[in-house]
Amino acid sequence: MKLKRYIYTLFLIGGLIISSCSDYLDVPPKNVITNDDVFANSASMTVYLSRMYSQMPYEDFKYSPARQFFDDWLVTPGTNEGSSLGRDAGEAMVSEGWARNGAYWTRAFELLRDANRLIESLPNYSGNFEVAEYNYLMGEGYYTRAIVYYALAKRYGGMPLVTKMLNYPEQPISELEVPRSTEEETWNQVLADFDKAIQLLPPTSSRKGGANKFIALSFKSEAMLYAGSIAKYNKITGFGDKTGVRVIGFDPNTAAAASNKYFTEAYNAAREVINSGKYSLYLNKWSANDKNAQYQNMVDMFFDAGSKENILIKQYSFPDLTHGFDSYNIPRQLMGGNGYSAGNCPTLDFVELFDGINKNADGTIKVFDENGKYILFDNITDIFANAEPRLKANVMLPGSEFKGETIDIRRGIYTGSVAGGINPLRVVNGGAPDYSISGPSNYNQVDAYTAKGNYSTKQLFLSRDGSNHEVVKLPNGSDLNAAGRSGPFTADRTGAFTGFVIRKWQNPNMPQALVLEARSEQHFILMRYAEVLLNAAEAATELMIAGKALPDGANATDLVKDYIGQIRLRAGANAITANEVTSSQDILKMVRKERRKELGFENKILWDIRRWRTQHSDPLNGSTQADGAWYRGLYPFYSTVADAYFFDAGFEEARKRFRIGEQEYYFMIPSGEVAKSPVIDQQPGR
Amino acid sequence: MKKISYILLIGFIAFVSSCEIDNYDWPEETLKGRVIDVATGDPVLTDQGSEGTRIRLRELSWDKTPSPTPFDFWCMKEGVFQNTKVFKGHYNVRIDGAFIPLLRINNSGDTIADETKYIDIKGVTEVEFKVQPFLKLKWVGTPTVNQGKITATFIVERAVSREDFRAKIEPMGNYNENFLNVTDVRLFVSQMPYVGYREWDNRYSVEKGYSGTSFEAELGKPVTITTNGVIPAGRTVFIRAAARINYATEGIKRHNYNEALRVEIPR
Repeated sequence: MKLKRYIYTLFLIGGLIISSCSDYLDVPPKNVITNDDVFANSASMTVYLSRMYSQMPYEDFKYSPARQFFDDWLVTPGTNEGSSLGRDAGEAMVSEGWARNGAYWTRAFELLRDANRLIESLPNYSGNFEVAEYNYLMGEGYYTRAIVYYALAKRYGGMPLVTKMLNYPEQPISELEVPRSTEEETWNQVLADFDKAIQLLPPTSSRKGGANKFIALSFKSEAMLYAGSIAKYNKITGFGDKTGVRVIGFDPNTAAAASNKYFTEAYNAAREVINSGKYSLYLNKWSANDKNAQYQNMVDMFFDAGSKENILIKQYSFPDLTHGFDSYNIPRQLMGGNGYSAGNCPTLDFVELFDGINKNADGTIKVFDENGKYILFDNITDIFANAEPRLKANVMLPGSEFKGETIDIRRGIYTGSVAGGINPLRVVNGGAPDYSISGPSNYNQVDAYTAKGNYSTKQLFLSRDGSNHEVVKLPNGSDLNAAGRSGPFTADRTGAFTGFVIRKWQNPNMPQALVLEARSEQHFILMRYAEVLLNAAEAATELMIAGKALPDGANATDLVKDYIGQIRLRAGANAITANEVTSSQDILKMVRKERRKELGFENKILWDIRRWRTQHSDPLNGSTQADGAWYRGLYPFYSTVADAYFFDAGFEEARKRFRIGEQEYYFMIPSGEVAKSPVIDQQPGR
Repeated sequence: MKKISYILLIGFIAFVSSCEIDNYDWPEETLKGRVIDVATGDPVLTDQGSEGTRIRLRELSWDKTPSPTPFDFWCMKEGVFQNTKVFKGHYNVRIDGAFIPLLRINNSGDTIADETKYIDIKGVTEVEFKVQPFLKLKWVGTPTVNQGKITATFIVERAVSREDFRAKIEPMGNYNENFLNVTDVRLFVSQMPYVGYREWDNRYSVEKGYSGTSFEAELGKPVTITTNGVIPAGRTVFIRAAARINYATEGIKRHNYNEALRVEIPR
């Protein structure tokens, strides 16, 4: 009896097992999205792509060299390239140590996987799309991969080339470990992916911010210029410990050929954009011989979303996607509710690049007369009265107009006699004026302030910070604070501590009440036509230096003169002189200088000085960044006796020391990644 | 109530029994070493820090990760080094500084010479590296002080001959005669005894740059440098001369030094 029960039970269980072998219960889980769902139609692809684009390593308002990608706190483009200094922005970029989102090495592979999945899976679903749309989508996959590897190659050199989806646990670990390739192979991968993208993408984007052929061509020209410069100028090379692969630098025997190849690619890509006629320099408000119109034109071009100069912009919109550029960089006197100001103060070194300024023989601004006394100016704006309009569109100078206010930048007030001229201020204990790095670093140390040396009484008045001022009674009986309302101050750096505040990108129409963090919504121009002109000019010059004819038969010198001439004309700068184009090296110098002037604060110049490998070696105010170097500022003073202004030029008071070793052009690979992998090499020698 | 205390007890026992004493011993071994000029037997003086002589340990007996993570530390300015917190094991010890590289690799990545040491570190292990420094600096006389400025004289000479240098470096590929050029000579001043490229007072220190072969004629002759600025009376400072050639080891052009001198600025 008992046995029977057992048998029944067994039957029952057996029956259950067998009947469950049918697959009608085997439905895909509803909460997991499969390839079938994603690659179904345009709508689902838009969702997939928007995730990809949101991870794109674009260097916009959410990027800073100090904090790297996807971090919009204290955005200060320009502060690490030497165009400006930021109180909280760091100095020369030597590592990703401050990056709150971690090293890009780790982050990049997420987007790379999305791109690889697209490239690999979409062909299986080609029936779901029209041919044109299919090509467009494939093109975006290749474009994304090119952009990611470009961002990686300029940071780390040779990368593991993951061009297929890695599947775990289906594949064994040994197949998933991908060693770093050589730097040359990495750049070739960037080139190949850009070329695929260019071949597949349509000439116009159908989605805002989406890629198209000309965007890909423009970034290709920038990336290939980078690769060509590394092949030519980089001196750091070596082999990985684990693999023996040359993970950074080029083989010296083939570097010259590689550099010519990349410069040719850069040139061709830039020329294709230019020849398309699709884009042009922004000239909507421009008018010949009218400096005001030229200035206004250069201000407006950064805010006009319909500008024909824009090739790719990153759009922002309140409240969905915002940044805080205005809040962090506003002049002190217009400070918003979060209490930030003047995070990005241009250096005098940057200002001196521009035309229309009275300069000494060595190119520095003229502030002393032939007797070594300060030149006096009736108005604070007189010193820059004839400056190039582009400078005024880039930098708020003392006395500039912004949002209907005069930007009040003044370091202090001088009450001493002006008979026979005013002596240089940077004097301590009656010694000789000392404008070297050993000299006084703050005006509160100089004799005129401390009443020492030749000063029997205090004749210089300064403000401690934005709310503690020394007040001077003027001859007309009124009171005046020592410093201007936008600084610079003695004890804090919330004012214009170099004597300037950034003008580029600052929204002139934003009410002060809205100058808040995460409130700005102006777009960032990631790629514009002027850069493409500069890319073409630089590639042409490099080919000329290498003794190569331009692939399309154009005359390199004429072409460079044409392109640089167009940019200068628009900027209101001086025309090209014969001295600037005497030799090909002179032309290269001219092209590089024009780049620094045109593209400052656009997250481009830091990469330029890195790819030229000049950041560590270029002379900078008597030193080099390899040893440690400093930038200069320009400090306006008001003389009560003369009722006039004078300017003191010298090392800036914060004494921000820029230092970079040649090795640091390549970032270290995160040590955890090196330790856990049998194949990933650290940078040789690090 | 009893139940709860049992549960708590079980929980506590589980908690305690999961504790285990760390299975590694303290790093207690000591590695001591000296860097010696093979020609003269003198110590090779260096900066203290990343532009000085670097000691790189790789524990070859370590097999828990695919490859050992290099452990770096830096040589003292006198050309000696010591680390008293090293794990027992078999190591590769490599040093890099302003001398001919011990590990030389050619353009195709093949090792052509490996003079690094492979040693067991246990107890107090001493090593001595005999190297060929690029330059040698010697003081001449005693520095003098005049109104807060120090004037010092020293001699810079080659410690490795052109031929030797070439014989060792050329096989590494892309040899250039410019490698041997002295690019700069400096007199570092600091208020620390650890004066050098990482510790110098920029108000007083002096750098003299030389382009091309322009220093060639000065080699072996006294060089006199007077410091910048005025060092306040009553201070004690330390000075050191340094020079380097146009050749980078492990990506850094490193200086050779003479010994630091203490200088009192009289009141």
